[in-house]
Amino acid sequence: MGLVAIATGKFLSSFSVFLFLTVLLMVVARRISTSVLLFSLQSAIITAEVFATGVRERLPAAYVVGALVLLIKVIAIPLVFFRLVDGLKTPRDVKASTTPTQSVFIAGAMIYLSYAAVHSFGQTVHVPEDALAAAVALILTGSFLMVSRKKALMQMLGLLVLENGIFLAALLTTFGMPLVIEIGIFFDILVGLLLMGIFTFRIRDTFDHLDVTKLRRLRG
Amino acid sequence: MILLLPLIFALLGAVFVLGFRDHRAATRAALAIGALEIASLGALVWQVHSNGTQQIGRYLRADGLSSFFLMNIAFIFGLVLVYSSGYLRHHIPEGRFSSPRWFYALVFLFLFTMISVCLSANLGLLWIMMEGTTLASALLVGFYNTEGAVEAGWKYLIVCTVGIAFALFGTIVLYLAAVQAGVNPAAALDWVALMDAVPRMSFDPHLVKLAFVFVIVGYGTKIGFVPMHSWLPDAHAEAPTPISALLSAVLLNCAMYAVMRYDAIVSRATGPGFPHTLLLIFGLLSMVVAGLLILVQRNLKRLLAYSSVEHMGIIAIGLGLGGPLGLFGALLHTFNHSVAKSLLFFGAGNVRHNFGTLRMDGISGMSRTLPQTSAALVVGSLAIVGLPPFGLFISEFAILSEAFGQARFLVVALVLVMLSVVFGGFAYHLLRLLGGEPSGVPSSSKLIPSEYTVMGVAALCLLAFGARIPHLFGVLLQEAIAVMR
Repeated sequence: MGLVAIATGKFLSSFSVFLFLTVLLMVVARRISTSVLLFSLQSAIITAEVFATGVRERLPAAYVVGALVLLIKVIAIPLVFFRLVDGLKTPRDVKASTTPTQSVFIAGAMIYLSYAAVHSFGQTVHVPEDALAAAVALILTGSFLMVSRKKALMQMLGLLVLENGIFLAALLTTFGMPLVIEIGIFFDILVGLLLMGIFTFRIRDTFDHLDVTKLRRLRG
Repeated sequence: MILLLPLIFALLGAVFVLGFRDHRAATRAALAIGALEIASLGALVWQVHSNGTQQIGRYLRADGLSSFFLMNIAFIFGLVLVYSSGYLRHHIPEGRFSSPRWFYALVFLFLFTMISVCLSANLGLLWIMMEGTTLASALLVGFYNTEGAVEAGWKYLIVCTVGIAFALFGTIVLYLAAVQAGVNPAAALDWVALMDAVPRMSFDPHLVKLAFVFVIVGYGTKIGFVPMHSWLPDAHAEAPTPISALLSAVLLNCAMYAVMRYDAIVSRATGPGFPHTLLLIFGLLSMVVAGLLILVQRNLKRLLAYSSVEHMGIIAIGLGLGGPLGLFGALLHTFNHSVAKSLLFFGAGNVRHNFGTLRMDGISGMSRTLPQTSAALVVGSLAIVGLPPFGLFISEFAILSEAFGQARFLVVALVLVMLSVVFGGFAYHLLRLLGGEPSGVPSSSKLIPSEYTVMGVAALCLLAFGARIPHLFGVLLQEAIAVMR
């Protein structure tokens, strides 16, 4: 194992600490814009991890993917979110259904759970355990954000965090999927986000609010 | 080249139709392109039948299984398109994406993604296109822009996107297992390469099983397996009726197709025990829960939606049993269910036009006020509950015989009990709709030609398949089964 490989390995595991930090901050964030900034930061960390993997595995395709993540997740998506928040003119708080204390405890429990989950897999796939745990933690907190936040925009953000986790898991275990497939997945995310944006406007126009927990007409 | 034609026509159709602002012109353009589309699909199916698997590059391939599902798509799409041409005369809702030209354009886009699902040689591409089906149809589900439609559209988008994210994770895990076993990374998502590699190389069985769990939960969300079915009744009930028919009769089958592809790989890698047990569990659960919910429905289209969940359960049970008859029955059932469910949705669409509601407690005496629509609903219901002489009887009988043959009496008992519960539910709802004093005066009691043509074709098809499976169809079915072996 060369020096570069060891260095990037250390880099991956130490950067996962920052990922845990973004996760913990995200669940206590009160404003939508704070959460969006945290998401952008989180994606920036993941971009760095993509480049690190590219260096370690000598994969030129990884640089293309890294550039895509940087463009789409660090820059484009947060900008779209800010425009949505402006355009929708709704109150800017996230409307959590759990208190910040509860949220931190739940997120902490999820981080612990992710370590427990990846413990047996860490050896077989030869990746830093911390990094893999961070990926699982992102998936879990993404789902948690989706179910515990009432705003439609926060559900979209939770989905993106969840997607970040899946992306990170793919990156760590398989050094990414073939390039064409990665690009296709990015395209889907973008279009999906666009459609959700359209629907948030429609929800506001038809219901006069963005609280998706109040969408309760269809039952049974 | 012939492999690309259906994809090209669908995409061109979407762009072309957008150019027609006038309702009639858009309809005519859509019908013309639709005819080309169906012809090209037919040509492709024929080509696969006579010359074997067709492939272009590393990402597109049509084999027997794809062509069986393409045939299903082509037939139902044809019916839906003709029905839509009459249906859209009633409603021109307000909104940016709610106009006839957008309706047809999105339908063509939706069709494009579903055909691509069936033509994907690569499991990653298959995932991309499956997510594409959600994106293309979300605006169609929300087409009416009412409170219900917006809610259903949002729910559909969120639930299916999250569900399918799990399928992406499953795809990645399978890719990991393949790469670890020594498959060339460039080919590690190719279905044929995987089917080839699985018996020769040692795949980590834990990883393969983990992959299948995620895939069945993910694509199962789109199939509508209980407990991931929450989007399905809402979307089916709130979408315009032709779209409900497309969702129920084509989209669910496409998702089932994806699960079948994975099931074949995993069965080879770990033995059929694990994936088939999962399929049986999801199948039985869906059948029991949906069967019971059918009894308490108040909205006609929600009733039909739950019936779709139940039938997807039956198909999953057929796949889970495996064996020659199980697979045969499951594949045949995908087609039969599509035809019967489209017929029922077409009928339901007419009910909505005439009474302005789908709430069944507000409608009675329909046999006198709407005799033709009532006849269609009766034929469709008799078929959907699995009575002879209709096609669904044959496929359900095949699946049950397989279960008997394998001495799985618990499965047999549960299926039979639920079939009778569903029969009771349909009989109860239908009798209340048709009998009694007529409620309200329908706006137009006669069907227009486009409506009775598609309903007649669907009904005749159900009858024909109950009497005898057409020779060519049987051959195509056997070719599809051969791919899975």
